[in-house]
Amino acid sequence: MKRWDLIVIGMGLAGLTAAKAAAEKGAKVLIVGRGMGSVTLFGNTIDLLGEIPPGKDMQGDLTRWIAAHPHHPYAKTGWAGIEASLGAFRSLFPPPYTFDTVGSGNSLVPTGVGTLRPSYLLPATMTAGVGMSPSDTIIVGLKGFKDFQGDTVSLHLQCRGVNLSLPRYGLEGLTAIALARLMDEESFRERLGEAIRSQMAGEKRVGLPAILGVSAPADVLKTLEAITGAKVFEIPMLPPSIPGLRIFHRFREALIAQGVTFLMGNPVTAAKVKEGRCEEITVHNPPIATVFRAENYILATGRFLGGGLWADMERITEPLFHLPVFQPESRGLWFRERFFQPEAHPIHRAGIVTDEDLRPVDSEGRVLLRNVRAAGSILAHHEAIEGHSSEGIDIATGNLAAGRALSS
Amino acid sequence: MMPADKTPTPPRNLPDVCVRCATCMAVCPVSRVTPRFPGPKQAGPGAQRFRSASDVSVDDWIELCTACRLCDTVCPAGVPISELNLMAKAKYLDERGRTFRDWLLVRSDLFGELASRFSRIVNPLMKNPTLRWLLDRLLEIDRRRTLPEYETPTFRQWFAARPVMSETVGRPQIAYFYGCFTNTNEVDVGKASVALLEAYGYSVGIPPQRCCGIPRLGVGDLRGAREMGLRNLSLLLPVVREGIDIVFSSTSCGLMLRHEYGPLLHLPDAEELARRLFDICEFLLRIQQEGSRTVRFQSPAMKAAYFAPCHMKSLNIGLPALELLRSLLGIDIPLIEAECCGLGGLYGFKKEKYAITEEIGRDLAKEVARIDPEVILTDCEGCRMQIRQLTRRRVLHPVQLLRDMLNRA
Amino acid sequence: MDLKTEVLIIGGGATGAGISRDLALRGIPSLLVEKGDFTSGASGRNQGLLHSGARYAVSDLEAAKECIIENRILRRIAPHCIEDTDGLFVSLPEDGTEYRATFLRACAEAGIDTLPLSPREALSMEPKLNPRLIGAVQVPDGAIDPFTLVVENARDAESRGARFLLHTEVTGLIRDGLRITGVRAKDRITGNEFTIAAPWVINATGAWANQILAFAGLTIGMALSKGSMLITNTRLSERVINRCRPPASGDIIVPNDTVSILGTTSLRVEDLEHYEVTPEEVSFLVEELSKVIPAIREERFTRAYAGVRPLVQLAGVSDDREISRGFALIDHGSVDGLTGLITITGGKLMTYRLMAEKTADFICERLGLHVPCITHSQPLPGAGRGHTLKDRLLRLRHQIPASRGELLCDCELVPRETIDAILREGKVRELQDILHRTRLAKGTCQGGFCVYRLLGVLNEMRKETVLGGSNRALRDFLEERWKGIRPVLWGTSLKEEELIESIYKGLFNLAPEATLPPGGGDL
Repeated sequence: MKRWDLIVIGMGLAGLTAAKAAAEKGAKVLIVGRGMGSVTLFGNTIDLLGEIPPGKDMQGDLTRWIAAHPHHPYAKTGWAGIEASLGAFRSLFPPPYTFDTVGSGNSLVPTGVGTLRPSYLLPATMTAGVGMSPSDTIIVGLKGFKDFQGDTVSLHLQCRGVNLSLPRYGLEGLTAIALARLMDEESFRERLGEAIRSQMAGEKRVGLPAILGVSAPADVLKTLEAITGAKVFEIPMLPPSIPGLRIFHRFREALIAQGVTFLMGNPVTAAKVKEGRCEEITVHNPPIATVFRAENYILATGRFLGGGLWADMERITEPLFHLPVFQPESRGLWFRERFFQPEAHPIHRAGIVTDEDLRPVDSEGRVLLRNVRAAGSILAHHEAIEGHSSEGIDIATGNLAAGRALSS
Repeated sequence: MMPADKTPTPPRNLPDVCVRCATCMAVCPVSRVTPRFPGPKQAGPGAQRFRSASDVSVDDWIELCTACRLCDTVCPAGVPISELNLMAKAKYLDERGRTFRDWLLVRSDLFGELASRFSRIVNPLMKNPTLRWLLDRLLEIDRRRTLPEYETPTFRQWFAARPVMSETVGRPQIAYFYGCFTNTNEVDVGKASVALLEAYGYSVGIPPQRCCGIPRLGVGDLRGAREMGLRNLSLLLPVVREGIDIVFSSTSCGLMLRHEYGPLLHLPDAEELARRLFDICEFLLRIQQEGSRTVRFQSPAMKAAYFAPCHMKSLNIGLPALELLRSLLGIDIPLIEAECCGLGGLYGFKKEKYAITEEIGRDLAKEVARIDPEVILTDCEGCRMQIRQLTRRRVLHPVQLLRDMLNRA
Repeated sequence: MDLKTEVLIIGGGATGAGISRDLALRGIPSLLVEKGDFTSGASGRNQGLLHSGARYAVSDLEAAKECIIENRILRRIAPHCIEDTDGLFVSLPEDGTEYRATFLRACAEAGIDTLPLSPREALSMEPKLNPRLIGAVQVPDGAIDPFTLVVENARDAESRGARFLLHTEVTGLIRDGLRITGVRAKDRITGNEFTIAAPWVINATGAWANQILAFAGLTIGMALSKGSMLITNTRLSERVINRCRPPASGDIIVPNDTVSILGTTSLRVEDLEHYEVTPEEVSFLVEELSKVIPAIREERFTRAYAGVRPLVQLAGVSDDREISRGFALIDHGSVDGLTGLITITGGKLMTYRLMAEKTADFICERLGLHVPCITHSQPLPGAGRGHTLKDRLLRLRHQIPASRGELLCDCELVPRETIDAILREGKVRELQDILHRTRLAKGTCQGGFCVYRLLGVLNEMRKETVLGGSNRALRDFLEERWKGIRPVLWGTSLKEEELIESIYKGLFNLAPEATLPPGGGDL
């Protein structure tokens, strides 16, 4: 039976990154996952660590931060590992749709509720939102598109806002993907550009919902900027995320072109472990259960949403390899009394504990599975959501896991 | 085990696991092009909370679902969205009644053989503008849809008339499930499949078989689908029980036989069949990788591109055709980046759905124009029909190109 | 803004609104003040059960008789607030057949129609029931929507001259010698303080009765009993399901629109403002009720909530369930020597109309008026119930995509026009007022998507008065939502929570300490 060099379990950003890194090193890779990962829901930029203030040098500050947080996943990769993974990510996006920093560190980007969110690498369609000011920006909402509330955004950013409707296209009831698809058409975006221009009063920046095309976002940006004479940026809104979908599509395209076997739609339901090694995994597409074997495996199945962790009324478990999960002592301690508070809920720090090589360990630090590595948000000791570090953890650990797996 | 006469009840006993993330909405080809379909999140798990077995169905949007099943492949929670839709469609149409057109179209296996025999009359008739206008008005079969031509002899007839191979002794046996469309409308796909299997040293058999029944699912006729499934099982199980594997070249037939007979229709022993059933490219790839026999292929001079059918994604075997083409022909074949061709099987023939089909197909047509290949390859006959009509280019099943390159080597 | 009225009612629950309507129908206008929105107390935090009385037939025959009479009256006067589901009393093997026999006899004596069913019949009616059941009895239980009931009472009263001040808190009683002559009040939203002069003050505050009485140095004997409930994501049964055994905790499953409400518990509390559903209560309810419907063990819960029942205390009884559900009308003039003040308390939702009748009778007598009560026959106004689940599903129809574009809540199919109608009525003063009056945010994701959309719509309409700042309202909403969700966070609900936190804390960076926009002010 065919044997792969690496099987990546999980098709989120961590898994995709790992698969790509391994394929580029010439390995035979299989990637299997149930869905497209949370990047298609909330991902659109690459967050490293939100608490580093804008304007500060990321390398220096993050390196110091890592030293102060020795259990964090970043401590396994170090700044060098993070930098390498960022370079690998960026190489997937050649001009004109590139991912860049604005300045040397974090930047603040406008959100769908008119707050600002710190992020590190931004796609070309969002850079113009950085440094916006109330007097130079107009926010454009689209009537009938309810997942982006332009008035909420403009109210809180304290700038002008308009809501456009294009009756010929029947915008009532259109979804984000339907709109993004229309934007891929030159004639539609020209009309939209004209409609925006007619509402402008000398603004230098135009903020739109994040629907600037699926396949040709750079073209969309170019047309709109040419017609409006202003810089245009897109603002993330309720899921699904079109910019996230672009990232997913790009990875999928690249992986298939590199000969990676891409199995999306069914989860891995069983893993056979013998003497501290994973021998095979089973993918179940009812009624067929197919077995796959590899030298190495990477577990990048996400947290609760992704299915990497599961909580019943008593405990949190890792359902595939049944690895021990670092967690609060009881369900009563998972969440704090208030929703918003300075520190994240204790449950968010739960996850899989690993050695320097990202191999899962027990409470004594002994390696449990020699040829399995964990990557991404399933790891313990981080706060990806409130820490604004989700994508950074995914790509840095995904990259590291692939490198270590292949050199083992 | 469900008794044969009982229509399976909707899967309401499944825990309700939808988290409303709307990932499914990002891939649904129908809701992407028309607001008339509320999208898988609403049509499936969303509406399920409002449905009651004792209440009359009001889901008139449910017929707009093409059953592409892409939503299932991306749902992080594992909601059986297309199954929920199918059950809702079945109830809706059971209560409202199905049209004569739908009754007719799902029985294409019956009149297909007849049409083949009289193909010399039928084919020009199907191009006759007046008749097409009539079919459009009376039966609501859209006149813009290019109808596939019928061929004579049928694949079965061709195979039966072949001289029997001399050295079948000692050759491993393989059975071939051809599917209705190959039999009466695309015989060459069947010929190519046989040629390749024989090139790899197999002795090919054509067991008695019926239409897989998937057109019945398209109109929510679960009872009809079960009947056809039971017939097929009674014909095919003896084959696998003799130790002979079965390959299929039609993606949708394969999906039906392998993944719907058991899990959806609860037919007895369906799993036994499923385990011995393979997509032909999946099968050939495995043989080729096992390396027991080397077969030489020439590299094609023309530029080719591959399109992955929706149902191939549901089979979840990766893209074996693409892998096979690359490894056997030694060329890089680009993947056409479009999610769905839009035909949806018989969906694309129906007047009330034609505009949707056309709009979904535009994305594919755009990509094809950008790549500008001389030939497009895809495993599903529905996709081939749609791509031919959309692009007017040459469209083949991967096995046809492989057979052509085999012959030249 | 000092006000005057003949009769002042404190408390906007079913009792208060019922009294207001009863008086209005007798030609007596009143003013009602409520510190929150309608049904802030027990009226808004119960299981929504329209009792047939069968539950009390064995233990309290009088209460049962009272119940079935009120049940029939409510069906007559408020059909649009009621879903006629019927109910089943289910016997499990451990419940035995003896209690069932007693139960049937007692129901007959109370005048409650019953229909014994075999296990097979019961299972065909309700397939999710425990297949081990040994029998069931059908009774005329139903599901009632308390909020609509109370609002309808208020609307009718208003059309006949009554007045209502919501978000208005009583901060003191005004005495003149041995007489109460009015109250001091405060608008909780504007902070405005004023007085209301009234010769008659009715304390209809339910569990808060002693807080009002404390302003006059009075007290009544009352126990506070917390009852917790769980809401499932899907509707588990068509009918109300009771356990056929002596009434205990964890006995009842009530269907409610698209969900089911599981209940309940009975625990003493001391502090009215701070109580919560405990993990022990949650585990208990899941364990106990999965004996009746096994699927409950794997079921997904979207929310938990608790309400506090005021129980009029009789000396020497410790199990709260034994304290009579009967109500008490206390004339403080004759009991405490302080005239002009009465308290009506105890009782349950089912008997609100009767409590209101007795109270209104008392007031009329004191005012020297002899007008009879007609609330037992006068129907509540208000549109026909109309919106069955099937009707709501029609909002997805493809002939009207324009209207679907305005669907704000995907889970409960609530369109924008519903919100427009609520705003037009002009009574809402904060976001929760809107949310009380619709099913928006009551579905699977508990407002995860739709409240963002709703606030956007309100921003578009420049309804700052409703919001006090849209992102603050959104944070407040999420904080309020959290109270109901935290007790049931495991399994799929936990996945949902990860989604919501990723959106609001991650993607939208909504935390209060988050970076401020360039202009400075986060509203």
